[in-house]
Amino acid sequence: MRFGRNPDDGREQPHVPPPPGPAPALYQRDPSDSYDRPDPAASAGYDWHGNQSWPPGVPAPNVPGRDGPAPPPAHPGTLAERWRTIAVDGAVPVFDPRPPTGGLSYRPDTVCDGWSTGAVDLRLASVRGYAHRAEGRPREDDAAAAWDEHTGTVVFAVADGVSDARQPHIGSQLACRSAVDELLGQIRGSGGFVTDWRKLLNTVHWQLVVQARRLLHQEEASVAETADLLATTLVAGVAVPTPEGVRVALVSVGDSGVWAIKHQQLYPLRGGKAVGADGLVSSAVQPLPYVPADIAPYEYLLDPGSVLLVGTDGFGDPVGDGRGAVAHLFACELERPLPPLAFAHLLDFYRETFDDDRTLVALWPRAAAPGGSL
Amino acid sequence: MMESNRGHLLPIYVLADESGSMTEHIDDLNDGLRSLHQALLGEPMAAAKVRFSVLGFSDDVIERVHLVDLRSASEFPQLTTRGMTSYLAAFEDLINRIPNDVGALKREGYQVHRPAVFFLSDGLPNHGEDWRDAHRRLTDRSTTLGAPNIIACGIVDADAHTINQVATEPQFGFVANKGVDVGAAIAKFCTALTKSVISSGRSLGSPQPQLVVDKPEGFTVAIDVI
Repeated sequence: MRFGRNPDDGREQPHVPPPPGPAPALYQRDPSDSYDRPDPAASAGYDWHGNQSWPPGVPAPNVPGRDGPAPPPAHPGTLAERWRTIAVDGAVPVFDPRPPTGGLSYRPDTVCDGWSTGAVDLRLASVRGYAHRAEGRPREDDAAAAWDEHTGTVVFAVADGVSDARQPHIGSQLACRSAVDELLGQIRGSGGFVTDWRKLLNTVHWQLVVQARRLLHQEEASVAETADLLATTLVAGVAVPTPEGVRVALVSVGDSGVWAIKHQQLYPLRGGKAVGADGLVSSAVQPLPYVPADIAPYEYLLDPGSVLLVGTDGFGDPVGDGRGAVAHLFACELERPLPPLAFAHLLDFYRETFDDDRTLVALWPRAAAPGGSL
Repeated sequence: MMESNRGHLLPIYVLADESGSMTEHIDDLNDGLRSLHQALLGEPMAAAKVRFSVLGFSDDVIERVHLVDLRSASEFPQLTTRGMTSYLAAFEDLINRIPNDVGALKREGYQVHRPAVFFLSDGLPNHGEDWRDAHRRLTDRSTTLGAPNIIACGIVDADAHTINQVATEPQFGFVANKGVDVGAAIAKFCTALTKSVISSGRSLGSPQPQLVVDKPEGFTVAIDVI
């Protein structure tokens, strides 16, 4: 990665691509359709005390006008219009999504979540791709997030079950849940630090192998058998409030990626699909349960006003190098936290040829602390 | 500034034998292409990811359709029989054509998957012609930008050994069983291939994406009948 000097504070910054050119209006927002965005001025800043009550400045639940039920729309008949798919390019295909087939008990099309701690606002969504909806396949992506109330640390994971595996949706779900559990355990045991990234991946690896044994009704399952059944990518990490700001650390296995939004630009930080020497795109990944020999955690200090995005290739592919229409859409819309349902709706945009499952976790730092450097 | 991520595209080439020996089957071939077109019109999301070319070859190559978006394509121009069966001319044409097409799509802002060539013939190339060297250069990924995967389909009296040599993988060579509806079989084969490539481009534990091709209905893997 190349570095440049931040003219604002002189600190080293990741290289930011040049600003994109003017992008066409993607859709007109109805002024009455505005959502209640948190007021940055009301943010608590870095003031986390785990043994105190909910810190000042954090939106309290059930405050009328903020998190309470929204008032009835001015034009109830237009609700469907308001939730119409955001089309970036091409005509949105009209079809009724098929339920997942294959004897699944329950696998929702879309999940979303959102909450705030004293240090960060978090939004999470995982949406089934248009192709899977048409084919009756389950959402193979998944995500999970939690926090440790003693240290204020947020832990998160996103995973993309590999389509060639036979039960990729189980692999991705298990990877996310076990990664979050392991990270919480390490954070709680150390007072706010991830002490062993290899143990994290080994734990996920082991959970996948054990699950493969159950599914195969065998006493043992090889790594190859596990991969054939449950292969999945994974990005898992933590956002730790510190006196310097919110420090993010994560590891990635496979082609899921990490991006940042700053000054209304979205740019890749890590991961994504590789382009071969001949310029052709490759979809090959080396997923879990295979654990890479070299594990290189990635660390990032979140600037106030910036956003960290962690997502699967269903998001990363259309975002590309951050200079296209999709990147522009997210850079503009995620300047501040959206309501969780709106976040999922945004992620469910349509652009021709990009019909994979999409999963995204976004973190906005609430602290007015410096950051943004490695 | 041109986007570098307008979409992912798979260039597909149908390289169809128009030689005189195909006279009795050219209508089946045209019907098969119409069936393929119709099948993809019914799957617009898959069709959106494909740019489709039809090339007729005999003594030379005639471009019937070039990198068309099948959703907006009208009827294909008819393939017509003419001349001899020069595999050499066919492969030399692709050696020049495919890198140019890949470059053009990338300049338009698309990301490009490895092209796939459907080679359709009755399997009897010109006697004494050395087409194998051109075939080797075409499929050498260190030589040709976008060196394609070739799925070779032999119809009616196809020579299984020749078809197997044209295919880039043993499992990519097929000969039609006697008496099947060749056009419908070809359409099913092409549709299955397109969906397979786009929706399951990932491959387990491999440094390169794998093109998984199921044996189409009514065909036999060419190596099986040698």
